Amino acid sequence: MPAATEIQSSAGPGENRRAAFGLELSIDPRISIPGLGRSLSAGTAQPPSRVQLDSGELDRRWGALTMAPLRAREIRWGKTPLLSVDFAEPAGYLLWARDHGRVLISPDGLELLCEADPESEHWATIIAAQALPLAATIRGLEVFHASGVVLDGRALLIAGRPGAGKSSLAAALVRVGGQLLSDDAVALQLSDGPLVAHPGSVVLQLRAAEDRKLSVDARAALGHPASSSTDKHRYVSDRVPDPAPLGALFLLERSADGPAVEALTAVSPFELLASTFNLSVRTPARLLRQLDVVSAIAASRLVYRLRVRPGVDAEQLAAVILETTSFPHA
Amino acid sequence: MTDKGADTTTMSELSDQELLVSRARLPQHVVHRSFVSETVVLNLRTGRYHGLNPTAGKMLSALETAATVGDAVPVLVDEYGLGREQIQADLLTLTRGLIERGLIVAADASGD
Repeated sequence: MPAATEIQSSAGPGENRRAAFGLELSIDPRISIPGLGRSLSAGTAQPPSRVQLDSGELDRRWGALTMAPLRAREIRWGKTPLLSVDFAEPAGYLLWARDHGRVLISPDGLELLCEADPESEHWATIIAAQALPLAATIRGLEVFHASGVVLDGRALLIAGRPGAGKSSLAAALVRVGGQLLSDDAVALQLSDGPLVAHPGSVVLQLRAAEDRKLSVDARAALGHPASSSTDKHRYVSDRVPDPAPLGALFLLERSADGPAVEALTAVSPFELLASTFNLSVRTPARLLRQLDVVSAIAASRLVYRLRVRPGVDAEQLAAVILETTSFPHA
Repeated sequence: MTDKGADTTTMSELSDQELLVSRARLPQHVVHRSFVSETVVLNLRTGRYHGLNPTAGKMLSALETAATVGDAVPVLVDEYGLGREQIQADLLTLTRGLIERGLIVAADASGD
């Protein structure tokens, strides 16, 4: 198991230095984002992305636009808008999330101006869930819609449709000795060697039905409990792993049979492209990088299809994964 | 031949014979990557992806390296062991399809 980074960390007065999604971060002390790692390279060449609570400056920049913004992304539940991303030069990407607030991300990803929804106690979750992955995409990483765990120094990613069981499987892998890398979004970085997976926010979110199945010890293995809702229970890991080379990517798929694992020698590039997280950033540089990362994943021969029939226990799936990838069972 | 001053033309203006003596090249804003199952061609200006089956992917690679579209034909005949006429017809169909989508341009092979 690699050395891990203690969660508790800070920097000088007025500055909270952290790292997530491959970015160095300087966070306004008034903003609390659970589950971020300690800055790994403070003082190095990479400038931090600054996350500031400043609705006045956000309004000033967005209000100064002379052109109509372009709607880059929109999510609705029926007719109710839940999330949107608008883009306009020179202000950048304006992320809005219902019951959370707004974040304006500069076109270079170096500045994130936040406006909190005063009615929401946990408004800042949108920063880790959406804003930082978007900033990471702008700054040259490719974020995948996946949960990730580090086992034996390698990153094991689980991608799949919402509700496919990514988090439950990640939790099961944590309980057998893995370290949570991220619950819903993992940043991958091209390097001279293998692809490198960066931790995101190490907050694991389990459905209440799934959580009820766990023993006290099993819950303790997931970290300390954080805010929960009626249908979700959240755990913050005590430690954040270091970035790790990609060890395997499992494409989780509901099936009439299984569990069954198939090594994919001819994975569809479009399936991998569909697993990327952020579609708002459409610059040529990002599009090319997205294709190159997908190409690198396909060439790595580390992609597996994991077919699961309903009702299969997450522990059973975790055992199948460990056996397939020869990860040691803790 | 460089982009600047290249004598490019549209598919509708070219007969089969004219196309065969033209050079097919990818614009700078078009890239492609080969996968086991298919080749993905990406137009960086529009953000649109196009999938080519392995045979079409091989044809695109042959078009890229050949001096003219016609010069790619014997390369593909060797590769697939099929008749020249059939290969040429398939290659011309693919070439026109790629030109229509803005993924390659036909240029005057003697332009440089």
